[in-house]
Amino acid sequence: MLAITDVSKSFNRKLALDAVSLHVQKGEIYGLLGPNGAGKTTLIRIINQIIEANKGTLRFDGKLMSNEHLRLIGYLPEERGLYKSMGVLEQLVFLAQLRGMSKENAVKSANFWLEKFDIKDWSKKRIEELSKGMAQKVQFIAALVHEPDLLILDEPLSGFDPLNVELILNELKSLKSQGKTIILSTHNMRSVEEICDRAALIHHSKKLAEDSVWNLRAAQKSGEFSIRFSGNMIAFANALWTDFELIDKKELGDNRFLAVVKMRGNNQINDLLNALMGQIKIEAVEERIPTMQEVFMNLISGKEVENA
Amino acid sequence: MRNSWLIAIRELKERFSNGTFLWMMVLGPLCFLLFLFFLFKSGDEGKKSLTVLIADPAGLMDNKIVSSEGKNVNYYFIGDYLEIEEFRDGKAYQNFDALIEVNEKVLMNKKSFVFYRENPSADVKMQLKFQLERRVEEVMIENFTNLSVDQFRQIKQPLNVDFRNVYDPKNEASELEGYVGLVFGFLIVLFVLLFGMTILRSTTKEKSNRIVEVILASVKPYQLMLGKITGIGLAALIQIFVWTFFIAIGLIVFRQYIFPDMFDPSNWEGIQVSAEVQQQLMETNSAERYNQFVDLIYERINFGFMFAHFLFFFIAAYYFYGAFFSTIGSIAGTESDGQQFVLPIVIILGLSVYLGFLAVVVPDATIVKYASLIPFTAPVVMMVKLAQGLPIGSYYLVILSLLILVVSTIVLLWLAGKIYKNGILQFGHRAKLKNIIQGLKSK
Repeated sequence: MLAITDVSKSFNRKLALDAVSLHVQKGEIYGLLGPNGAGKTTLIRIINQIIEANKGTLRFDGKLMSNEHLRLIGYLPEERGLYKSMGVLEQLVFLAQLRGMSKENAVKSANFWLEKFDIKDWSKKRIEELSKGMAQKVQFIAALVHEPDLLILDEPLSGFDPLNVELILNELKSLKSQGKTIILSTHNMRSVEEICDRAALIHHSKKLAEDSVWNLRAAQKSGEFSIRFSGNMIAFANALWTDFELIDKKELGDNRFLAVVKMRGNNQINDLLNALMGQIKIEAVEERIPTMQEVFMNLISGKEVENA
Repeated sequence: MRNSWLIAIRELKERFSNGTFLWMMVLGPLCFLLFLFFLFKSGDEGKKSLTVLIADPAGLMDNKIVSSEGKNVNYYFIGDYLEIEEFRDGKAYQNFDALIEVNEKVLMNKKSFVFYRENPSADVKMQLKFQLERRVEEVMIENFTNLSVDQFRQIKQPLNVDFRNVYDPKNEASELEGYVGLVFGFLIVLFVLLFGMTILRSTTKEKSNRIVEVILASVKPYQLMLGKITGIGLAALIQIFVWTFFIAIGLIVFRQYIFPDMFDPSNWEGIQVSAEVQQQLMETNSAERYNQFVDLIYERINFGFMFAHFLFFFIAAYYFYGAFFSTIGSIAGTESDGQQFVLPIVIILGLSVYLGFLAVVVPDATIVKYASLIPFTAPVVMMVKLAQGLPIGSYYLVILSLLILVVSTIVLLWLAGKIYKNGILQFGHRAKLKNIIQGLKSK
């Protein structure tokens, strides 16, 4: 869907993007991650053709990106903004028209989304008359009112209450099921885990990693397992002997424990289970996969160490 | 182009949803008409008809003033001295509006007093003075010369030495008409400044409420800039048309209903003198009657011609200066931040008005010739020159001036577009000259 190859951008000799390449596939939700100032917004602005890259190419469905492709993109910037004195419906129609939609279709589409987000009654109100959350909804609708194929959302969940966060997340899933492609730039790692298929991490103007969310997490596995059991903690520790390392333990009460164990040598989960069986009563075993938050932190701190 | 047009229409709608804009649409022409009303009225103040008593103890006037009296002033005579207190308070004199003292010394010192109860209008004063002067003159001719009245007046006629420009031998240009051009020029400056500030405000507002990022994801910066300038310009044009319409209606109402006798020649009748003298009287009187503005506005200015040129120069000047205002808006962090950069523009606009004034009083000054071609000052100076009337065969100068203005506007819009593109996405900073230079250097 979108192929970004070796894109670089600098502002007054300060490098904002350094040969970044990304590949966003059709119909996926793609997480664009990175700390503040990493270059995400610059990249998003380049995709939206708000600014031009100094180097590199962007292809949309295999074709070099041009003005024509802007109609196929919907954009929700991090810094929200609407014309405060303009009516809700009027504003949505205006923005849809700017993206190439006819007035008639724009009105139809805007009304559809207003109804869907339960703010149809507010369509005649001016933005300045709406609550912040309501205005956020209008802004979200503005990004997709012209029925784009690619939706670029910069921090779409900020400013929403938990109820509306769920509403937006469900809407994103629904859009995905309709075949829309979504690029999601966010610091909300839970949402990345929940809805993103793939993600890329940008740090200090460079891409650090790009893969499926599962692979990114799996790549950071450290061979740790959490085991819930009932029995004697000493018997459990003795059973580990030198082949396994007890990382952490927690008493759950009623002679039940939760322990985190790391493999040593070439030992596998089966070896651990064999060692434990007969010593304690195993209730649950789960491999510990790092959260996206941990992946994010690990990748960045790893890079910092490397740079140091 | 479609997107620029959509932006222009949105800007236009926003102006129309603004109460101040709508009020200006009505109040602007109303203020202008009120100003004109007082200007006209100033020549029409005071009592319009008088009953005058002439105290002529020496009987110099022979109980007559003119063979047929004017309808505005009725004269009565008394062949004795009359004390001013007696005239003021005496019951017998209450029907008289004024007392004229013509004592025997009048032929020597040529001094006479008119004591009025209520200040007469300038028109009536003029008539009274003229008629009294004429009568005293007749008496003097009779007493001191052997000439007939007409012969004397022929001799008395001053030599009319008329200074005329060799390029304008018919003296079509006049200072007064030049002032009308200056008013047109001033209107250009006024509208450019008012709506230029609107461009600045609108641009900084879009930046501060961050809608600009959404818009720029759909349109190119120069399209946004052009759309914005055009939309606000359309609002300005509509404002101008509405003003023109209301002012035109107002002028018609003035002429038909409020000052109906402005052009009525019967107002000048009643003075039975020779046709030549009456003509002279009428010429003098017409200028004084409703002061020169009436004559100027209703008779001497070709409004169709002036308005057409005004539109051309206004549109070009608006885009020319609009490019500056939008550039400032794009590099400014806030509206107040941008205002510091507006000052040089205001100074230049002020200078153009001054040069327009110079074009009125010294039409042939070298600086005026250059100013009529320099795009910064051309709109005002050219309007003055157009109002004064261009010498035959020199209309090409107007075309040249407009051409220079249009070409400079295109170049300026292109440069402004570059700065705009660079500045519009910079938030939360103070405008610096550095931003302009960076913008100009950018590809």
